[in-house]
Amino acid sequence: MSLLAADARAFGAAARNQWRVARRYPAQWLSFFFWPILLPGVYVVMGSAMAAGDPRATDAFASRAGTGDVAGFVFVGWSMYMWLSNVLWGPAMAVRTDQLRGTLDAVFLTPSSRLVVLIGPSTYALVPAWINFVVMAVALRVIFGVELAPDALARAALVMAAGIPAMYGIGALVATVVLRVGEIGGVVQLVRGVFTLACGVAFPIVMLPDWARVVAHALPPTYVVADARAVLLAGADLAAIVPDLAMLGLLSAFVCMLAVWAFALVERGARRSGMLSRY
Amino acid sequence: MGEFRAAVAIARKDLRIWLRYPINVAGQTFSPIYQSLVPAILFGATFFVDGRAVGLETSAGTGDLAGFVVLGALVSGMVGAAFWGIAWSLRTEMDAGTLEPTWLTPTRRDTFVLGRALGALATFAISEAVLLVIALWLFKPSFSPQAIQALPAIAIAGVSLLGVGYLLTAAVMFMKEAGFFIDTTNFLFSSASGVAFPVTALPALIQVVAYALPTTYALDLLRQHAIGSRPLFDPALEYVALAAAAIVTFPLGRMAFNAAERRLRVTGGLAQH
Repeated sequence: MSLLAADARAFGAAARNQWRVARRYPAQWLSFFFWPILLPGVYVVMGSAMAAGDPRATDAFASRAGTGDVAGFVFVGWSMYMWLSNVLWGPAMAVRTDQLRGTLDAVFLTPSSRLVVLIGPSTYALVPAWINFVVMAVALRVIFGVELAPDALARAALVMAAGIPAMYGIGALVATVVLRVGEIGGVVQLVRGVFTLACGVAFPIVMLPDWARVVAHALPPTYVVADARAVLLAGADLAAIVPDLAMLGLLSAFVCMLAVWAFALVERGARRSGMLSRY
Repeated sequence: MGEFRAAVAIARKDLRIWLRYPINVAGQTFSPIYQSLVPAILFGATFFVDGRAVGLETSAGTGDLAGFVVLGALVSGMVGAAFWGIAWSLRTEMDAGTLEPTWLTPTRRDTFVLGRALGALATFAISEAVLLVIALWLFKPSFSPQAIQALPAIAIAGVSLLGVGYLLTAAVMFMKEAGFFIDTTNFLFSSASGVAFPVTALPALIQVVAYALPTTYALDLLRQHAIGSRPLFDPALEYVALAAAAIVTFPLGRMAFNAAERRLRVTGGLAQH
């Protein structure tokens, strides 16, 4: 068996293992149906209080957000956030779980590629991520009467798929930090916080100061969120978002290369310091 | 006196453990700011007309968006302290397998919950003080000194939240996976209390639930005094509602906790997780 085939088998085994573990905690699956509705729902109620039926306020929102559909804006933004968050959490959680179980050094002794260690267990997170997306679409239709066309949903799915390499790259960078400091909660919270603040999840990025907008345009999730809104709410076709997708591709390549380099560096240090077996 | 000493010792222990993980402390302290406070204010600002929150002036009687949201964040922190600081911390003790040994001490069972509450109060005070300082620096909300007059309302709501903490602890002691339960009930409790919007913006059916929560009235009284928002009801009636909630929830919570603890001792559930 070639090395690539062996790694592919190990990748599938790691993904199946994590899927089996996740299936054992059915209560956690409730969250995939609860949060995609409640979290953006709070912002929709807030939006209705901030507008209070005043057309001036609604027009002001539309001019800043690029759409007058507050529910659509909020739901798409938070759906993208939850999708990004699920994918981001995976690699870091995989490393941290192995650290806590005491199996990280054993796993690192195997000939499997580090991609298998980082990405394999976290691929199951793509399932709840897509569930979040479907729940968002259904909730928008049933509760707010916002119809999302099937072809627009398909284009949004393509946008989300295009963001996967970047998100796994950022997740791998977070896993690098976890390997170094042995802590996950604060780091992932910080990265999530940056996404919430800088990527247009909860509010249009025009509300940010100029320097923060520069930072926002350097983050891959900004393009995923903006393009998802463009195809779902503004009816943009793929040709209209090609420049954004190209930028996303460039940023993904950069982030992934940085993650590969950083992880290799930290792993070498962890082997020397014994951090692989400590937490 | 001995019970009070035990409660203080538990609180000091919780505080020491909390401070031993500085990254977690920073995360817990700053995450409400960048995950909730700032996004909520900037989202609300998207509706500004010529720099004014015209919609909020109509719905809440105040145009001070930052003040409105910051005060909501403070009360949300209180709710979080009750849910996570009290109920969840006892759950972690069960998971660590140390609940049975502590239950064997002569200390009353509900003193452990009280001790957790004191610890949660300390961590809450530290986190909220930081939140307030940063919010004042970033957004410059204008709080009236009359906000001090709302302190009795906050204190009474705190008694109710202690009762809610007892109730939740009773529930989580039976659950194998309590994280989702605590997370969602905390979120629903805070949201329904109007931390991010006036409760009058909620659908009518959910408003009924909101008016049953003590934090709704505590927050409304705090906003009235601090930023001059329009009251939901006559302030005297709101104080009556607060007192009624405290009189009901505190003994009810303790009864539920004691019943749950008795049941678990009989079934051997104290050692299960």
